[in-house]
Amino acid sequence: MFKKKGNDGNKSIENQPLKNNGTTITSDALKRHLANMDDAEFIERTTDKEQKIMFVYIRTLIDHERFNESIIQPLMHHSCDLIYECITTSKVSEINTMEEALSQLLQGSILINDPIRNQWWAVLLQNPLARGIETSETETILYGSKDSFSEVLEQNITMIRRRLPIAELKTEKFTVGSLSKSTVVLMYIDGLTNPEFIAIAREKIKQINYDMFLDSSQVATFMEEHHNSVFPQFQQTDRPDVCAYSLGLGKITILVGNTPFALNAPVTFFHLFQSPEDYINRWIVASFLRSLRYISFLLSLILIPMYVALTTHHYQMIPLQLLFVLLESRGKLPFTPFWESFLILGVMEIIKEASLRMPTKSSQTLGVIGGIVIGQAAVQAGFASQVLIVLMGISAIASFLVPNYLMTKANTLIQLMILILSSLLGIFGIVLGLIALLIHLNSLTSLKQPYLAPLTPFYWKDWMDLFIRGPLVNMKSRPEHLRPLKKWRYSQRR
Amino acid sequence: MKTFPLFNKSSAFDGIYLVFMLSRLQMLYYMLIMPTILVDPYMIWVIILVGAVSQLILIMISKWFSSEFAAKGYLGFVELFGERTVRILAFLGLGLILLKLSVHLLGYVEIVHQFIFFSMKPSWLIFFVLLISCYIASKGVENTIRYSVIAFLCTIWMLFLFIPFYTPPIAFLHDLYPLIPTEWSGQSWRGLLLIMASFSGAEYVLFLSPWFKRDKKTVKYFSVANGITIFEYVFLFIASLLFYGANYLSKSSYPLVNMVRYLQSPLFERIDMIVIAMFLIHFSFAIGLLLLLLYGGVRIAGGNQNQPTRIGFAACAIVVFITMIIMNELLWKDHSRQTKLIDLQMWIGAATYLLVPVVLLAALKRKGRT
Repeated sequence: MFKKKGNDGNKSIENQPLKNNGTTITSDALKRHLANMDDAEFIERTTDKEQKIMFVYIRTLIDHERFNESIIQPLMHHSCDLIYECITTSKVSEINTMEEALSQLLQGSILINDPIRNQWWAVLLQNPLARGIETSETETILYGSKDSFSEVLEQNITMIRRRLPIAELKTEKFTVGSLSKSTVVLMYIDGLTNPEFIAIAREKIKQINYDMFLDSSQVATFMEEHHNSVFPQFQQTDRPDVCAYSLGLGKITILVGNTPFALNAPVTFFHLFQSPEDYINRWIVASFLRSLRYISFLLSLILIPMYVALTTHHYQMIPLQLLFVLLESRGKLPFTPFWESFLILGVMEIIKEASLRMPTKSSQTLGVIGGIVIGQAAVQAGFASQVLIVLMGISAIASFLVPNYLMTKANTLIQLMILILSSLLGIFGIVLGLIALLIHLNSLTSLKQPYLAPLTPFYWKDWMDLFIRGPLVNMKSRPEHLRPLKKWRYSQRR
Repeated sequence: MKTFPLFNKSSAFDGIYLVFMLSRLQMLYYMLIMPTILVDPYMIWVIILVGAVSQLILIMISKWFSSEFAAKGYLGFVELFGERTVRILAFLGLGLILLKLSVHLLGYVEIVHQFIFFSMKPSWLIFFVLLISCYIASKGVENTIRYSVIAFLCTIWMLFLFIPFYTPPIAFLHDLYPLIPTEWSGQSWRGLLLIMASFSGAEYVLFLSPWFKRDKKTVKYFSVANGITIFEYVFLFIASLLFYGANYLSKSSYPLVNMVRYLQSPLFERIDMIVIAMFLIHFSFAIGLLLLLLYGGVRIAGGNQNQPTRIGFAACAIVVFITMIIMNELLWKDHSRQTKLIDLQMWIGAATYLLVPVVLLAALKRKGRT
């Protein structure tokens, strides 16, 4: 019944440049544009009313079952005058230019030619190729919602919309990437989010000029103001509840097609230490856990440098009993404290990276090998002291307490910088490194908003949800540093 | 060429930043040597008295802050004094800034050298302190002002370290007597001058008035900062008196630092090393701010109206570094010359703190009449 025309007949025009701007759609023109595309199909079918209809589509992008059900079957036995009226799917649009035709085809539409009216229609029937909604692997929590974003943009928007079923939740669509044609969706709550953030984000997205975007972090790179910083200036998350909460505070959310990670901005250094579970736990417990994260972050930065500083420059700072333990442990080592720490830190990073890249079952074995065998063997072989192995273990575990994985990665580089300074200048070097870090953080911005807010700029009212997480009933207003248009979180102020 | 936004103004700061800035600018090197020079317990009243005088000066400065000339910055000064006079004053100011910078920088480096790194050459320490201060300054005035919050919060907690010195058996109440002076010596005058110079710092903040909101509450913020400083001076002085007693206090070169050495902790034996290193947070802030003022002053004195450049700022920092090295070798290492330099800065610090606001206020009045 179907007559497959093929698409390899126009070899003479293969190398001609494609000019598709505003030209009229014809089947020949379409064939020219889709030359050498094996999955592009042109089929012609005759209806009961002896009417010849042409279908053009890309086989790998469309849903064949729905194509049969909602287009072929109704058209086969149609009694309607217009093709448009026969199609039983809602996403039908009229197309007039070749540019539109190609864009629709590549999105998974089927182009249908109405020969009577000489009109082309596009019916969107995308192949529903996607994984289901799964639990987040990067931000795991015990309590709270378990769903996470997938690669399907519409599905991701749905997950946020279900949490914020309000008409004020706006979505603006953009396309970025000359090759990837990635869809970027800017989400915000109208009348709540500061218009300045929306305008900046909109402008930055429009200015993006690059060929390919495979992940939202790449979009973030083009929107950042400080490219040479190790700190993320957008919060990358695959949790819809985090996005919904951020939107509710007055931030913007950016979703990118074909990636399960959304971007929230403006973000501050302190936001990266907040976990969705903070708002589920009792406030005292949540505050304790959050404080623990900050302390762990600091510990992971300075524990090893402190060991190097004390053993290299400031033996007099170590209490006598501890000094004996340290002397015994380091007595036969051939390396200086710096090289000892540097080597073990390097090995630790290799193990961490390898455990991430290997299959799950292998990574467990690797953990055992790395943690016990290498650790113990290094001590017995005389490469490292037992004290250092203990400190290294604490430091490595402490670094993982930060909920944001990008932050954990940044942590290693900062630790290395402080390690070098501590070997040169001891305690003074550590403080010097920390000051440099604070100065750097103080100068960073996210969507042109200070990164260290509400510490600096100083908004003391926002401290209720900074180092501690105050009781929700007392957190009556939205964070001042986000300058939301609606200050109060209650619909009626109590 | 990429711009170097050193003096950009994107938003006006609230008065709360004045509290943080002033409070830290008043807690520099002189605070650390204060007990050695004050010695007598009755100097507590002098601290409070000079604190009251400082409050009057701050009221004058707050009047400047609320004037329209303050918001105009350099142009405001030009309107008041004329361009030539402003350039001459800026040139004189360079020397004053350099002197203040040298005493505080070299003083801090000496403490680090004495208590943490005796084997390291002070020149290296000067280099590192200046390097981190330049890094702060290179981020611009706005970020430096914001950094004052960090400087304040990272160092204010150190006061708690001195609480144990108020509790027996270390503390003896009779160490606080006599509270009423029986004689007034030359050393007492020197102490008074030192306190006045220690309170100084706001006369440099007033040059940053364009970055602040014109707020009627400025005087309130200044008062809070001044109040915090008075409390800190008195608290630390009493702690040192209780620990050493007036007779022994003058024998210690850095009594407050030495007191921290006596504190015990299960993890560290020498807490003073951590405390001294932590002092770098607010010393670097103060030095960074002075570097910015110095570079601004150089540009005004040189009549440079163009955008600031990285090369210009770097050249300024290198000149400061070379000056500091020379001053350290020629003046600071020799004890008698060091004392003279400290005394000179005491006189100049006290004089500028008193005179700059008076002159500005007089100029404002004169301008108001004309």
